[in-house]
Amino acid sequence: MFFGRFERLIGLVILGLTGAAAGVLLLAVAANDPRSGTQPAQGLLFGIWRVIYDTEAPSNRTVVAATALAVLFAATLALLERRFSNRSRRSVDRSTNPLAPKVVMAATRGQYAGPVTVTVLIPAHDEESSLGQTIASLLTQSHRPERVVVVADNCTDATVDVARAAGVEVFESVANRHKKAGALNQALEVLLPHQGDNDVVMVMDADTALDAGFLEAAVARFTSDRALMAVGGLFYGEGGDGVLGQFQRNEYIRYAREMRRRRGRVFVLTGTASLFRPLALRTVAASRGHALPGENGHVYDTAALTEDNELTIALKTLGGLMISPQECTVVTEVMPTWGTLWAQRLRWQRGAVENLGAYGITPQTFRYWAQQLGISYGVIALSAYLLLLFLTATALSHWIWFPFWIGLGAVFVTERVVTVWRGGWAARLLALTLFPELLFAAFLNVVFVKGILDISLGRKASWKHVHRTTGLHTSPDTPGADDSGDLAPALVA
Amino acid sequence: MSALEAHGLLFSEAVLHTEVFAILSAFVAINTVMYCALTVAKVLPKVYVADWLTSRNRRTETRSIHPDGVPPERAA
Repeated sequence: MFFGRFERLIGLVILGLTGAAAGVLLLAVAANDPRSGTQPAQGLLFGIWRVIYDTEAPSNRTVVAATALAVLFAATLALLERRFSNRSRRSVDRSTNPLAPKVVMAATRGQYAGPVTVTVLIPAHDEESSLGQTIASLLTQSHRPERVVVVADNCTDATVDVARAAGVEVFESVANRHKKAGALNQALEVLLPHQGDNDVVMVMDADTALDAGFLEAAVARFTSDRALMAVGGLFYGEGGDGVLGQFQRNEYIRYAREMRRRRGRVFVLTGTASLFRPLALRTVAASRGHALPGENGHVYDTAALTEDNELTIALKTLGGLMISPQECTVVTEVMPTWGTLWAQRLRWQRGAVENLGAYGITPQTFRYWAQQLGISYGVIALSAYLLLLFLTATALSHWIWFPFWIGLGAVFVTERVVTVWRGGWAARLLALTLFPELLFAAFLNVVFVKGILDISLGRKASWKHVHRTTGLHTSPDTPGADDSGDLAPALVA
Repeated sequence: MSALEAHGLLFSEAVLHTEVFAILSAFVAINTVMYCALTVAKVLPKVYVADWLTSRNRRTETRSIHPDGVPPERAA
């Protein structure tokens, strides 16, 4: 492992690799003399409308080759991911994979450490408006948590009073300058030594509410598998905030669908709500400074912008088993303005890339690298597509229909609609219109490029805290313990 | 380029017949077909190849927190 080596170079590495791939494809295309010879023709649609259309389409060979290439990429990715995860799942090497199932099982065979209990930590920085709802969603669970602790960090509002009024414990951070990760580290330092093997710790955001049955399902998982190190929640966006909110809800619905199709294999143990076995957190803290980046003794790496993503990679690096079960869902806030969304996504995107820089290329980070390269190539592909569309639309003297490309467009629309079907009519309608979501994707691409540029130029990252006044609506503010929603950088996919 | 040549909103239609445009459109075409293939894969029900193979994952011992696999209250 080579921590830090990539720190500033990583952006250039990602851009360079994808740029090279696009360059090779362009050269191959140019070498093949791509001039098309078809001329537009005229026809009648339903015998009524006169239309001009162009039957131009790539040759069968090109279509087959491109399809084969895509399938090859996807299959290779899936196979390698499976291979790497199986390897660490079957590892018996205590020194490199101290959290691997076989190692954990061997250490706890024949011992009973009591029933599974849940201690919830809610890091909160000025969260008076949403905290009550968050606590209520915990206390009404079919499996009530044994302990709820609000980790109040540099609060200037009534967060502490709200917590006390709700009858839960309060832990106040002392001289913390490392925001949420720092506050959690302080709380965990006090808490962890007293937790038994089955006294799991849940970390959840103060702007998030658990769905019914979440804890019962999680506890059942931890009970049936003592080698299970973490359970992550699946998040959905709360209602409201118009089209901008719907864009985000659609994204989250698609992410949850993808998780179901992966049968819960985790991308990121979301900061919104995830549970950990104490052994996992203790081992991470003990491994920092040598096997993992960060300061020895700290559970969370305070240098990471997206500490949930970092902790996920840390646990995977140590061989820990984790899952995001379908039953464990949470509802979290969506960003109400483009400005707050920009800040949130920039932090996720930057955090995700910087974490890769900190870990380098390892079997456990392979999937995340592929994801970033995929996004980076997507930026090139989408830009080229939009440029082509723009040139065609502004250079044609009259409208021409391209049946082949319209057919392909129909496939994309189908995918967009099918993947958000569960989200109801608003979600489907937005997906059906295709172009708004395409522009939203372009917005996220701009965020990606900005993130890469900031890293490469060594610009300091900033946090934007979101102040809620009505429980929903927000305005960016100075850095704080919590931030503009902390879901999962997995979404930067 | 003749003065009578067709013109779109911003550019002459001749732009669409340049080699650069041809390369760009072929590049976009290949990418679009590739993404389309991946898109179709996302819509279709996922196939879990491992399910067809004989399972090596069958557990040889309980992984429950209860050493004999049964909660104490039920074992009693």
